[in-house]
Amino acid sequence: MRLILPDPTPRLAAPFLRVEGLFRSGRRFWLCLLPTWILVLPCLPRIGLDEVSPYLLLIPSVLLAGALGGGLPGLLATLIGLACAGLGGRVGASPAWQAVIFGGIGLGVSAFGEMFRASRRDVAVNIAAVEAREQRLQSILDTVPDAMVLINGAGEILAFSKTAERLFGYTAAEVRGRNVRMLMPAPYRDSHDGYLDRHARTGEKRIIGVGRIVVAERRDGSTFPIELAVGEVKGQDGSMFTGFIRDLSERQSTEARLQELQAELVHMSRLTALGEMSSALAHELNQPLSAIANYLKGVRRLLEPSAQNPDQGRVQDALDRATEQALRAGEIIRRLRDFVRRGETEQRVESLAKIVEEAGALALVGAKEHGVRVVFQLNADYDTVLTDRVQVQQVLLNLIRNAIEAMAGRPRRELIVSSGPADTTTGGEAMTEVRVLDTGGGLQEPVASQLFQPFLTTKANGLGVGLSICRTIIEAHGGRIWATPNPEGGTVFHFTLRRVTDPEEMPRA
Amino acid sequence: MRDGVVHLVDDDAAVRDSIAFLLESAGYRVTAYADPHAVLAALRAGVRMACLITDVRMPEMDGLQLVRESRALDPELPIIVITGHGDVPLAVEAMKIGAADFIEKPFDDEHLIRALRLALAAAPRGPDDHADIRRRLDQLSAREREVLQGLVDGHPNKVIAWRLNISPRTVEVYRAKAMTKMGAGSFAELVQMAILADLRFAPSLVPRDPEDGG
Repeated sequence: MRLILPDPTPRLAAPFLRVEGLFRSGRRFWLCLLPTWILVLPCLPRIGLDEVSPYLLLIPSVLLAGALGGGLPGLLATLIGLACAGLGGRVGASPAWQAVIFGGIGLGVSAFGEMFRASRRDVAVNIAAVEAREQRLQSILDTVPDAMVLINGAGEILAFSKTAERLFGYTAAEVRGRNVRMLMPAPYRDSHDGYLDRHARTGEKRIIGVGRIVVAERRDGSTFPIELAVGEVKGQDGSMFTGFIRDLSERQSTEARLQELQAELVHMSRLTALGEMSSALAHELNQPLSAIANYLKGVRRLLEPSAQNPDQGRVQDALDRATEQALRAGEIIRRLRDFVRRGETEQRVESLAKIVEEAGALALVGAKEHGVRVVFQLNADYDTVLTDRVQVQQVLLNLIRNAIEAMAGRPRRELIVSSGPADTTTGGEAMTEVRVLDTGGGLQEPVASQLFQPFLTTKANGLGVGLSICRTIIEAHGGRIWATPNPEGGTVFHFTLRRVTDPEEMPRA
Repeated sequence: MRDGVVHLVDDDAAVRDSIAFLLESAGYRVTAYADPHAVLAALRAGVRMACLITDVRMPEMDGLQLVRESRALDPELPIIVITGHGDVPLAVEAMKIGAADFIEKPFDDEHLIRALRLALAAAPRGPDDHADIRRRLDQLSAREREVLQGLVDGHPNKVIAWRLNISPRTVEVYRAKAMTKMGAGSFAELVQMAILADLRFAPSLVPRDPEDGG
């Protein structure tokens, strides 16, 4: 038993209770009479001989019988005493009033004895109940996943649960009576007594009933994050504090793993998005490569020995243009690499215009063949946002590609990416809203209502994860994503991003 | 009388400029256009182009439509179609509607100039060429011909495999064999030869509809 509760029974009563145990059985009755006999028998021959009243000698036996046995043994001892005195034949010698007094005393003692016995029985029942309750409590404390430490007002550990033993590496016996500081790493270790003092003086509650994430120290000196909830018990000898401790290291590693998986998923979907664009991207790269090959072949022809006078200017011009195209190809590859890199998800202060421009450059690859008219209407006052650039570009890429697909074969093909103030704030923060508008076929039920659900797709080869990942990303940014019908036909996708209003936060380029 | 100028249309400025430079360095006179409509306007205005080179992917009007419309304006006009990689079905389509040749990007300058020379000579392929290609075609087995027909029809391997009731892997084998026998350097060249040399190929040797297969 690790839990130490104050003993409900006064220490003095203990031997008495042990004797009481003897009298609980059926033999009680007869055993109670035993002291009576022990005392009375040696006295019998003396009765009548001495000046002393025989009743006086018999009173102790009545007292003992009553005290130990209760009402009935007391009464019996009284009757036996009366009988003995009578049998002694000298009743006349002792006046009748003595017999009456003896009888009265006997009755009184018996009555008190009975009360005493009843209260002893109650105490025993109470103790059994307390013990049972304590065991139940203990079993609960041993099973709850949270560790529990009970301390007094001075910070001394009174109780230390099994989980706490496991968590901290100490046994209950080792920590009992020591200051709870030992479970905390520096510098918290030195300030804890001060907290207790302050609480005792002012009654101010800083952690009690609130719960807080703090750091704890194991026996081996390693530290780990815990969630600590403290309750206060006010007793006669000052306050006691119960600390419930939940180990967060496991939960934090689980959360970290979840975030890792999510980042992985987001990354994979970026790769998928690019995979779907591979033909368009190959074409986009093919253009500068073809141009380079053409320039170089042409230059080679100009420089052939059979050529009369190679025009220096033309050669240089062509080489310059070839270089330009090599850089163009490099730029495409750089954008691609940026987009597929497995970046740490870090939110920075970014220019929305730049994000949209770059995402558009990727997403609109091949769009010109579809004859889509693209317009960017970005409000410069709402340009600065707090985002993970690549992830927001992924969202934009997804929305823009969807818009282009939705407009395939439509007479009017217009894509507008615009930004401006959001109608609503999220959590009191100023938000910037980005809108991607198309003039496609619009959304029909049941797709419209389940737009952001995973694995729901209208595309023949789609996985249906694009928009659900968009939502994951935007919500991780503290924003919201939704779709509304375009009044002129088609769909408008909206999403919000945290707006940065302080120009000081803008990084210097 | 044709004007002796190569007319070139491509929406990508760098590609357009570089092809013009290449052709000029080879001694041709070139007029370049960014917009297919400008080409059609010139044809309507009576320009007798010696040859037209066009890209397939263009925003205003795709290359195929340009081939159709310019052939309508000038039925004898030799047209060379340049395609990006992987646009073989488009190119096949272009050949069928009367393009003289098609070239995959990026291309070898010799390849382009040879095609251009043939086009300008106004004799796309001599009878010898045809005879030669037909001789080679005759060497193909029945299955190889069927696969080649499927390819000329612009079907992917999987569809051909399904129609012929063989595995896609086997289709690849027949395709590779056909390429070797025909002496084709690329798949595009194989298709080009098949279209140019054997007009009898056009009617289908292969059941086109699934229900025909029973």
